[in-house]
Amino acid sequence: MSYVDEKVAPRREERLGTIIDFGGCACDLKKNFNGGCLKNNDRGFCQGTICQLLPGLSMLNTIPDSVVIVHGSLGCGGAGHSQSASIRGRQILGGSDNPRGTLWLSTNLNESDVVNGGEAKLEEAIIEADRRYRPASIIVVSSCVPGIIGDDIDGVAAKIQPQVNGVILSVHCEGFKTKVMATAYDAVYHAISRNLLEAKKEEIIIIHDELEEATEKIRRSKQVNLMNVSSGTPGDEQELTRLLNALGLEVKIFPCFTHPDDMKYATQAALSISTCPTHDDYFLKYLNEKFGVPYLLRYMPIGIENTNSWLRDVSKFFHLEEVAERIIERETVELEISLKTIRENLKGKKAMLSAGEVRTLATAGWLQELGLEIIAVRPYHYDEFGEPALDKLIEKDSNLQVNVGTVQPFETVNIIERNRPDIYLGHNSDNIWAAKSGIPILPIYGGPNTYVGYVGAFDFARSINRVLKNPAFNQNLRKNVRQPYFKDWYTDQPYKYIVQGGDI
Amino acid sequence: MKNRFIERPRSFCALGGAMLTAGAIPGVVPILHTAMGCGGSIYWNQIGSTGFLGAGYCGGLAVPSSNVKEKDIIFGGTERLTEQIENTVKLVEGDLYIVLTGCMTDIIGDDIHSVIREFQSKDVKIIGAETGGFKGDGYKGYDLVLQTIISNFIEKKAEKINNKVNLWGIVPGQDAFWRGNLNNLRSLLNKLGLEVNSFFTESDTLEGVKNAGDAALNILVSEFYGIDAAEIFEDIHGVPYTTFPLPIGASATEEFLKKISEVLNIDKALTDKVIENENTFYYKYIDRIADTYNDQDFQRYAVVVGDGNYSLALTRFLADDLGWMPELTVITDVFDEEKQLKISDYLNNLNSGYKTKVVYETDASEIQYHLSRHWPRSNGQRFYDAFSPAFVVGSHLERQLAKDIGAEHLTVSYPVGNRVVLTRGYTGYLGGLNMIEDIFSVLVAQR
Repeated sequence: MSYVDEKVAPRREERLGTIIDFGGCACDLKKNFNGGCLKNNDRGFCQGTICQLLPGLSMLNTIPDSVVIVHGSLGCGGAGHSQSASIRGRQILGGSDNPRGTLWLSTNLNESDVVNGGEAKLEEAIIEADRRYRPASIIVVSSCVPGIIGDDIDGVAAKIQPQVNGVILSVHCEGFKTKVMATAYDAVYHAISRNLLEAKKEEIIIIHDELEEATEKIRRSKQVNLMNVSSGTPGDEQELTRLLNALGLEVKIFPCFTHPDDMKYATQAALSISTCPTHDDYFLKYLNEKFGVPYLLRYMPIGIENTNSWLRDVSKFFHLEEVAERIIERETVELEISLKTIRENLKGKKAMLSAGEVRTLATAGWLQELGLEIIAVRPYHYDEFGEPALDKLIEKDSNLQVNVGTVQPFETVNIIERNRPDIYLGHNSDNIWAAKSGIPILPIYGGPNTYVGYVGAFDFARSINRVLKNPAFNQNLRKNVRQPYFKDWYTDQPYKYIVQGGDI
Repeated sequence: MKNRFIERPRSFCALGGAMLTAGAIPGVVPILHTAMGCGGSIYWNQIGSTGFLGAGYCGGLAVPSSNVKEKDIIFGGTERLTEQIENTVKLVEGDLYIVLTGCMTDIIGDDIHSVIREFQSKDVKIIGAETGGFKGDGYKGYDLVLQTIISNFIEKKAEKINNKVNLWGIVPGQDAFWRGNLNNLRSLLNKLGLEVNSFFTESDTLEGVKNAGDAALNILVSEFYGIDAAEIFEDIHGVPYTTFPLPIGASATEEFLKKISEVLNIDKALTDKVIENENTFYYKYIDRIADTYNDQDFQRYAVVVGDGNYSLALTRFLADDLGWMPELTVITDVFDEEKQLKISDYLNNLNSGYKTKVVYETDASEIQYHLSRHWPRSNGQRFYDAFSPAFVVGSHLERQLAKDIGAEHLTVSYPVGNRVVLTRGYTGYLGGLNMIEDIFSVLVAQR
């Protein structure tokens, strides 16, 4: 019995013991996390944050030839307005001359639907979406309201499926059900696993002769799944594809920007390779269990050491270690030449980072390698997938300050005022609060940059170097724009509002 | 009004509208009593739809929020709210805190008012509103916040000041140009000798809002938004209101000033003088673009797409000021029959006499269908009188429509995700000039 056989993916706090409330040194985080002492922590003061619906939509909105139906109140899919803009940007970078962004519907549940139920309205939306847009898949995502009024979206999907051409996926993203937004990744992969991995009968390739069969077998023995993330950039995918191609591997990328009809090819690969372990474990374990596809799930290839380790893991699987060493040698030698003056500029500069678990910790590791001092890291959650990157940080600084929290900028600004970092690398919509503290910002993902592999390592270095060249904009902000906190907050203990839940 | 799905909604939910409205009042700190993602959802929407209106003083992901979880939904969330307010007033500096509920806490029926009363009794400046997303759109949220301010914050004043007015009807965020639009109209009303309280701009203060009860009149530059609040204002504070469709450009603004002047018994000579001066100013600028208008044949057929405010205002401006032919006006709000009649009445009586076809459609992908019904497509005849040259004024969602019908396009109505908006406004005489500047800039952009 696998998780995927259930209607709903489990919450990460239960499946992985994931936590979101901690402040202190890295060693204490490890010790207390492993002891299970942090899972009932809470905050007595909170700020509006990100629920599982938002990263869920970030992934689902990228799926081409599909319509996302957000089953909930009018506002729940609103993130689509900004997500569509970044998806459109990607479509342009990908060469589209008619980038359309993303298409979503809201079932717009109102007061009468809350009383009478919203299933009929959802049915109509699915049928009309199929008629109007002829999509390959119709992705029904439930937000909080259906979760509390008891709408059965799986039942609706099963009932309506025979009437429509598009494959209906039902995705459970009720925001109040989990405190860990990363549960979204499981919810999305859960729906993909349940609906898009089986080939339709007419699509199964019939192989006629032995030569063809042998050719196909050899091809598949070199085919890998490269797992992407919605926060990744085209540059990220190009860089990792380049490295895997250099090993002689054929790369197929999943799940963001992958056509629903193509998802099933993920079952045919020789190996699945994660680029963000906390993003992919649910799916890769399922692909392994159900289809026998082995996986690698340890490193996020950010910075030289992580990229080396990531590449070595892949090469070891295919017995291509020598090829990998030649690639590593060539890439790092050239990279070091270009990094020389930048390293001198960055040496001793103080950095603070804040974003998703693995990205934050892995990026901090690269900054350490570059010679920066890390004054604090703020992963949005923490669980076993953060441990390898955290261990690496601890090796260099056992007292490293770690603040686990999903955004919560009041803690950010307190830490900033105590330590005054030279640069802050943060998540979208988190950066502004550090910016108002006068700190130069480099977004930790997104836009036209590359963040992973050797190209990404260099891009990080040269971008930080650039950002430090003229910090005037944010310095002016600090002088002229007021933060909302009372003055005495900055001299108070930053983790004052984290309530120890104990081991209940 | 059909109760059905909406494609790429052109509005926040009630909570989103309420949060942006509350956050736009100087000194106000909203406190959300909602599930954890409501703040993020609103902000991620805002960044893609409001002309890049950032978080501001205590919005975005800094907004205090109770982030109720499953256990609070089961056992009730008021304890969590109490703790959140207690800590918010210690940590976050606000002159007035406004608690705003979301879907979850409204459905479970948390009694926020008794929690709020408890804090009020300890001299905390705090009020609240029930703004669960399922209660309506962002315009509704705007109205609900105004209602609680009117009922629970604005002081009662027996004496009214006869040259003092409040100005409403422009919804922060839903209208990306809200600040400029309010500022332009305030300057004009000042010229009529009026003291204007517009609640939401950098020139307004919370003290001003508190003392809004002695105004002689509430002016709503909208036939649709803020009406319930204005009714409540009249009941509680005895201040009447008047409505006028959002005025853009000389012809609408002249009528607007005349109406206000009439309602408030302002000296007609003064009003006429103000209008004359403004017209002179307006046409000094028009004079210098008229060469190009005529040399380059800048007249266009037009499709207008927008909410109740912009669809009326833009249609009128294009027809009456610019001499264009608005052929199709798409109103993206879901309006009842009474409001629809009001709209027909207004759009059937433009000064130019030009008549547009009005349709009610929320979904961007359906607009081309309405256009094809109104302006028949070519059936292959050699000489076909096409819908061309054409221009689409709407939201950034209409970029695709414009591309598909070979028209040029300017984003004005929500969502505004491809323009940065700071001080710009389209109301009044100055706003009309801004509009001409922006539309004609599109026409010359390829030069």
